Amino acid sequence: MAGHHHDHAVDSYQLDPGKWSTGRNVLAFIALLSWALLGFGYFNDHERFFQSYLVAFCMGTFIILGATFFVYVQYLTGSAWSVPIRRILENIMVSIPIGALLFIPIAFAGVDDLYKWAKPEAISDALIQAKKAFLNVGGFRLRAGILFALWSIWAFAIWTSSTKQDKTKSIEQMKTSSRWAAPGLLVVCLTGCLAAFEWIMSLDPHWYSTIFGLYCMAGGCVAMWATVTLISLGFRSNGVLANTITVEHYHDLGKWMFALSVFWTYLAASQYLLIWYASIPEETIYYKERMHGSWAWVSVLLPIGRFVVPFALLVGRSAKRNLKVLRIAAIWILFMEFVDMYWMIMPNFHEYAHGFHLHWLDLAALGGVFSVYGLVFWSRFKSNSLVVEGDMRFEQGLHFHQV
Amino acid sequence: MANNHAGLPSPTLGDLVLPKLYSLFGIANKDSLYGAVAEFEDGPQLVAAGAKVKEAGYTKLDALSPFPVHGIDDAIGVPRSILGFIVICIAFCGTFAAFLLMWYTGAYSGPQIPGCELVGLCSYPLVIGGKPLFHWVFGLPIMFELSILFAAFASVIGMFALNGLPRMHHPTFNYSGIHRATDDRFMLVVEASDPKFKAEETLELLRSLGAVHAELVEDK
Repeated sequence: MAGHHHDHAVDSYQLDPGKWSTGRNVLAFIALLSWALLGFGYFNDHERFFQSYLVAFCMGTFIILGATFFVYVQYLTGSAWSVPIRRILENIMVSIPIGALLFIPIAFAGVDDLYKWAKPEAISDALIQAKKAFLNVGGFRLRAGILFALWSIWAFAIWTSSTKQDKTKSIEQMKTSSRWAAPGLLVVCLTGCLAAFEWIMSLDPHWYSTIFGLYCMAGGCVAMWATVTLISLGFRSNGVLANTITVEHYHDLGKWMFALSVFWTYLAASQYLLIWYASIPEETIYYKERMHGSWAWVSVLLPIGRFVVPFALLVGRSAKRNLKVLRIAAIWILFMEFVDMYWMIMPNFHEYAHGFHLHWLDLAALGGVFSVYGLVFWSRFKSNSLVVEGDMRFEQGLHFHQV
Repeated sequence: MANNHAGLPSPTLGDLVLPKLYSLFGIANKDSLYGAVAEFEDGPQLVAAGAKVKEAGYTKLDALSPFPVHGIDDAIGVPRSILGFIVICIAFCGTFAAFLLMWYTGAYSGPQIPGCELVGLCSYPLVIGGKPLFHWVFGLPIMFELSILFAAFASVIGMFALNGLPRMHHPTFNYSGIHRATDDRFMLVVEASDPKFKAEETLELLRSLGAVHAELVEDK
């Protein structure tokens, strides 16, 4: 606003090549190490390899779907506050195509290790036979291919238009992106839920919960804002965009982590409440399995770790404006997303039915999936601007102040 | 009424209530100075002038504008509202009230509280669907909804109370051009109760900051 006094030192919107190479080298090192370990783990214990890998793959992919959803939302609401961080979200969004490659081990090698409906014994299971039109290996691969194709088409359409706008500084690209964003919102919500049903819920083919897809999406969204917060803070401590992403923007990142933690809780409580109240054995089995042995502790940790802790940490205004608190909250939220995925996936395997069993492959799989997604994400920063500097609301977003 | 220890007369009920009634109905109460009002042509000027007046050491400032002006709270040093804190406290009261309500009406089997039938709040333990008489799981929606309801009431009523609303009169209405505060002018108010307030000096300061007009207003 005219008359306002702003001491904005100008940041460089191009990442310094030295810093970029350091980031790439770190990610490449993690990738090499993790994939070497994963390769060793595959030959050592291929069942556990696929189990750990599925947890990491789902966690990474749902974070990307969260970013996809929120990029669309930013375009459709015309948000100014998010403009300085939107390129980070867009670059997360556009790393989705590599997910198709990461899915290949699950689709072509691990499917009959992981999914009961793909095992030969399924032939004698009447319920699985009744769902055969959906739960079959061919359809599983085909649908995954369609999902990744849809996500990639939409991601590239918006990302290409957004990076083009950096140079043209025209309103045309904003219009193009908005036109893609509206149907995209519908696509990502429906397909995201479908992915949750296929990859996670079908691990127990007898059990079903209609809210399960949104539950996974909400978890992915809250973890995505935690990721964006950590990336921004990482940039900040390296002197990148330190005057562009200000405490005013961090305040809103904190609000999103807070709000979506509450939203996740709303969905988790709804799912639990309805299953508890109806008390139908084929539905309650999900929670009964998770009350066995050490899983019971994880079941207690979830509402505390995903609701009580983020709520208490982030409820205050001063907490959301304190970067140290935000960093701790973001790390905790990401950790809890992993715990949640682990809790959803692992108890389905009979060898862990009576308690969880941590394995070094869990960590290696996380490193493997996140480093590959991370490398694709990072590669977008090499020659493109760090911010959407051509956006019509860029100046407004830079000087944004909380009311 | 008896004098207190300091030898000063204790305020009577009339002393406490009448001024509020007077101001509520816009009746002249006492002829004293309320403060100085200065008129600016746009929002940024108001913010800049407010900041300067605050810099000069004034603390009792107010601003009147036709629409919200960004940055004015910081410029004139308006503290953050405690409304959020009030709301969360009342919201947790709602959570607890729902818990108590569900337990008492559904699971309490002691003697009835006399007169409970008058407000329709008698306990009525009844087993439904084989569920326990009380359990926190089915209390969740009620606890959630009642927290929201209490929070909504607390925000609306709290906002009115903290703003001193409703009231029908305010001393700044005595400013000659006050009607333009809802149209196209931006007013800065320095109250006379400010320790730094000196009528002529303050007016001079306001004029020097680019006010198109500034005058003293009476508290009547």
